[in-house]
Amino acid sequence: MSKRFSLWGNFWRIFEPNSSLKNNLLDYVIRASKDVVSSVSLVLLVFLRGALFCAQEETRFVRVAETRKTNANNRDLNSISSRFPVETNPLSLSLFSTYCYIIRILRMASSSEVDAWIATLRKCEIIDENSVKKLCQMAVEILVEESNVQNISSPVTICGDIHGQFYDLKELFSVGGECPDTNYLFMGDFVDRGFYSVETFLLLLALKVRYPDRMFLIRGNHECRQITQVYGFYDECLRKYGSVNVWRYCTDVFDYLSLSAMIDGRALCVHGGLSPNITTIDEIRAIDRKREVPHEGPMCDLLWSDPEDIKGWGLSPRGAGYLFGDDACKSFNEKNALKLICRAHQLVMEGYKWMFDKELVTVWSAPNYCYRCGNVASLLELDEHFTPRFKVFEAAPDSNRAAPGKRTVPDYFL
Amino acid sequence: MNSGGGGGGPDDVVAVAALIDELKSEDVRLRLNSISRLSTIAAALGPERTRNELVPFLVDMNDDDDECLMAVAEHIPSLVTSVGGDEFVHALLLPLESLSTVEETVVRQKAVEGLVKVGERCDRASAMEHFCPLVKRLATGEWFTARVSACGLFACALEKVSSNGNGGEEEKKMIAQLRSLFGQLCDDETPMVRRAAATNLGKVAEASVEDKQFINDEVLNWFGKLTADEQDSVRLLAVDDCVSLSKLVSEEERLKSIVPVALKFSSDTSWRVRYAVAQQIYELCEIIGADFAREDLFPAYENLLEDAEAEVRIAAAAKVSKFCALAGPERSRENIIPRVRELAKDASQHVRAALASVVMESAPTLGKEETVNQLLPIFLVLLKDEFPDVRLNVIGKLDQVNEVIGVDTLSKELLPAIKDLAEDRHWRVRLAIIEYIPILATQTGESSFLFSKEASTSDSENNSAEDVLNSLCLRWLADPVSSIRQAAGQNLQNLTALFGSAWAKEHVIPKLESLLQTEKNYLVRVTVASTLGMLAEKVDEGDITGTLFPIAKAAAADSVANVRFNIAKSLEKMAKSVSAGSAIRTEILEVLDGLKADADVDVQFYASEARNAF
Repeated sequence: MSKRFSLWGNFWRIFEPNSSLKNNLLDYVIRASKDVVSSVSLVLLVFLRGALFCAQEETRFVRVAETRKTNANNRDLNSISSRFPVETNPLSLSLFSTYCYIIRILRMASSSEVDAWIATLRKCEIIDENSVKKLCQMAVEILVEESNVQNISSPVTICGDIHGQFYDLKELFSVGGECPDTNYLFMGDFVDRGFYSVETFLLLLALKVRYPDRMFLIRGNHECRQITQVYGFYDECLRKYGSVNVWRYCTDVFDYLSLSAMIDGRALCVHGGLSPNITTIDEIRAIDRKREVPHEGPMCDLLWSDPEDIKGWGLSPRGAGYLFGDDACKSFNEKNALKLICRAHQLVMEGYKWMFDKELVTVWSAPNYCYRCGNVASLLELDEHFTPRFKVFEAAPDSNRAAPGKRTVPDYFL
Repeated sequence: MNSGGGGGGPDDVVAVAALIDELKSEDVRLRLNSISRLSTIAAALGPERTRNELVPFLVDMNDDDDECLMAVAEHIPSLVTSVGGDEFVHALLLPLESLSTVEETVVRQKAVEGLVKVGERCDRASAMEHFCPLVKRLATGEWFTARVSACGLFACALEKVSSNGNGGEEEKKMIAQLRSLFGQLCDDETPMVRRAAATNLGKVAEASVEDKQFINDEVLNWFGKLTADEQDSVRLLAVDDCVSLSKLVSEEERLKSIVPVALKFSSDTSWRVRYAVAQQIYELCEIIGADFAREDLFPAYENLLEDAEAEVRIAAAAKVSKFCALAGPERSRENIIPRVRELAKDASQHVRAALASVVMESAPTLGKEETVNQLLPIFLVLLKDEFPDVRLNVIGKLDQVNEVIGVDTLSKELLPAIKDLAEDRHWRVRLAIIEYIPILATQTGESSFLFSKEASTSDSENNSAEDVLNSLCLRWLADPVSSIRQAAGQNLQNLTALFGSAWAKEHVIPKLESLLQTEKNYLVRVTVASTLGMLAEKVDEGDITGTLFPIAKAAAADSVANVRFNIAKSLEKMAKSVSAGSAIRTEILEVLDGLKADADVDVQFYASEARNAF
C-alpha cells in the first residue's frame, strides 16, 4: 500500500489542474491518512509534501493573512504555512490539513519511545547509538520545516549558553520549570567545554522532538564541525561511544538548526548579534542555512558578533563576526519594528546584562562557567504579556552532581 | 565480537594474537585496551606459556607511559589462576617488584596492592622462599621508592610466616629479620619512608597481635619515635596509629604510652596534626572509656573546639553531639555547650555549617529543659546565619528537636525564625522549609497549628503571625522558582490529606480559583492547574463536583496552551477520583473531548491520553 502512494506523488504532477481525477485521488488520500500504520502515513507525508508544492505552482494564490491570525496559537500550522503558503484554493487547504493531521498522528505514535529516551537522558545517562541516529533523523524532520527566523509566540523562557554543563542545566530546569510545562528557547552553544555535552545536547534535542511547540533551539557558534573538534564535543563522543558516528549525527543536526527566533514579532533572538550585511529580517530569511557555519558573511556574523560601546561597526577580536555599537543596534531595531534583541555568546558575571538603553540584552545560562569562573547564570522569562523577568541561579550544589563517570571500555573488541 | 575469555575457536586465536600484538603497539590506547585483557591472553596461552613467555615479557616491558604501567600493575593480580594456581603465583612477584620501585606514586601504590594480593595467595613455604626475600630486597633498596613500597608489604609477609602458630627456626629467624628491618624503616632518613612506615605501623602490629611482648616493647618504641618526628607530615599519620594501637594494647599501656601522645598531639604546633587529632579523638575516647577520658582527653577536645585554625574547629565541631553523648549531660552543659555557643558565631562559615549539621543531635543527651534553655538560642542564631548552607543544615535536623522538646515549645520559639526562612532569598532553604511543614503539621494537628483561620482569630495577639504562616503555604504557589511552586502544590496535597476536605475547601480552593483567574504569569497558572488534580485525589467527591471541577472547567479555556494541557492532566485525576458512571464523570469527559479538538498539539495529546484512560 505504501509503495502505491509514493508513486502517486509523481503522478500528481501530470494531472490537469482541478481535474476530477485529481479530486478523487485527494479524497482517497485523505481517507487513507486515517490509517494508523505509521509507515503508510510516512509515505503519505512525502507524497503530500510534493503535492503541495505542485498545487502551489499551478494556481495563482493569495496569501490569506486571516488564516494565520486565527491559527495564531497553532504553531504547527504556522511553521508549515511559512513553507507552504496557505491558499484560498480549497484543494490545497484540504491537502494542508491532511498534512497536519498526519504529522500529529506520527508524533503521537513515536512519543512513548522519545519519552523513554528523555527519561534516560534526564538521569545523565547516554542512549545507544542507534537511538541517537533515530532521534537525529526525527529532529531533522522537524527542524527542516523551521524558518531561519523561527516564529515563536510568548510566553517563552529564553536561555543562553549551556556548554555541556548538564547538572547546571538540571538546575536551570528546577528554577525555570520542566519542559513541557514551561516553553523554552535555547540560544545555542549547547556543547563543548563542560563534561556532558552529549547528554546535554541529546536531552534538549529529545525534548525538541517530543514537544516541538514547547522547545525551540537555535544555532550557536559552537554548533559546527570545526569548533567541536577543538573544544571537546568530538572527543567526548569518541570517548563515550568509542566511535565518531554520534558526533556525525549530531553535527548533521546542527546544520538544520534555525539561526534566529522572533518572539511576537517584537524581539529577535540570536546567538551572537547583528551583521553589517543584514538590514532587514527578510535578509535573514533569505540565507541558505543548511551548511557548516562559514568563516564570514551574514550567517557567520549572526552567530559570532558582539555588542560593544562603540559607534557603528568594528573588527571583532574573536576573528569572526563584528563588534556593533549602540547606533547600529538601534537603527536595526527601528527599521524592523523590534523592541529588543536577545543574545547570548558572552559570559556575564551577573547572569544577564542590558545594553543600549534596554534595546539589547545578553543572557548567560552556564553558572560557574567551565567549573571555575564563579559567575551566576540567568534565564529570561517572557510572559504572555511580554513582561521580562530574569531568574538568576547558581551552579548546582556538589551533592546533586555525580562524580565524573569512569571511563567505559568500548565494546568493539572482544 | 563479544567472544568472552578462554574459548578455543579459531576466532579467539586470531583475537588473542591481535591482543598480543597490541601489547607492543605504538598507540597508548591500544596498549591499554590490550593490558586490560591480560587475563584473556593468559587464559588463551595456558599456564605454562603464561609463566614462560607472558610473565617475562611483562618483566621486560619497559613502557614509558605511566598509565600503561599502572594498568599492568592493576591487572597482574588477575592472572593468579592463569599461571597455574597457588603453586606458581610467586612467578607474578617479579614483574610487580620492578613496578613497585618506579618513580610515579600511583603506579607504585597499585603495584603494592597487587603484591599484597599475590602474597596472600602464597603458602608459607613460597612466602619464605619468594615473598619475604622480596620484602627484604625492597626494604634495603638503595632508592627510597623501593623502601616506601616495602613498608606496605610487611604486614602481609609477617602474617604469612607466622600463620598457623609455631613455625620452625627458619620462620622465627625470618620474623625477627623482618621486624628489625621495619624498625629501621621507622627510623629511615627519608621522610617519605617514615610516612609509609607510620601508615603501616598499625597493620604490622595487628599482624603480630599474639606477640604482646613485641608490641609492648618494639612497636610502642617505634610509635614513640614516629610521634616525635620532626616532620609534621609523619606525625599526623602517627595519629591514626593511636587508635589502631590502642585497640591492641592493655589498658595500662594505653594510659601510659598512647594517651600522653594524643594529648601532646592535641597541642601540636602543626595544625594538620591537630586536625588529625580532632578527627580521631572521639574514637580514642570511646576505646579508653568515658571514665578515663574525662580527666585528660575531654579537656583536650574542648581545647580543639577553640583552636586557632578553622580546619581544626570544623573537624572538632562535627563531633560535638557524639562527645555530648559520651560526656553526659552535666559535663556537656558545663564545658561543651558554652564553646558551641561561641562556634555558632564563628568567623568561618564552614565551621558554622559543620556545627549546624550535628548540633541538633545533642538534644536527646541534654533533655528537654536544657535543650530549651541552652540549645534553642544556638539554633536561632544558626537559623539566621548569612550562609545558606548553615541554615539548610539546621532545618534538615529540626524534626530531631521536635521529639525532645515537643512541637508546641518548638513552634513558639522557632516559628518567627521559620517564617523568615520561608521567604529566604536562597530557594533551597525555602524548599527545606516546605518539606518540614508536613512534619510540623502531623505533630500539631489542624486546631493547634496555624493552618486554620479560626485558631488565629481566637487569639488576637498571634493573629497576624499565624495568618502569615497560613498564607505562606499558598504564597509559595506563586514563587519565582519552579521547584518551590511544585513543592507548594505537593505540600497542599499533603496538608489536605491530613486536615481533610473541609479544610481545603475553606482555605485552599478559593485561593486557587482566584490565582487562576487573576494571575498574569502563565507559569503560576500551570502550577495551580496541576495542583487542582493533586487535590482531587484527596478531597471528597462532593468537593470535586462542587468546586474543583467548575474551576478546572473555566481554566480549560485559558489562553496559554501549557495551562490547558495541565488542566487536561488534572481532569484525568478528577475523573478517576469520582465514581464510575456518575454524572460528574460524564461532564469531565465532555470537557476532555472538547480539549481533544484544541488547536495545540500538546493539549490534544494530553487530552487524548486522559480520555483514553476511560
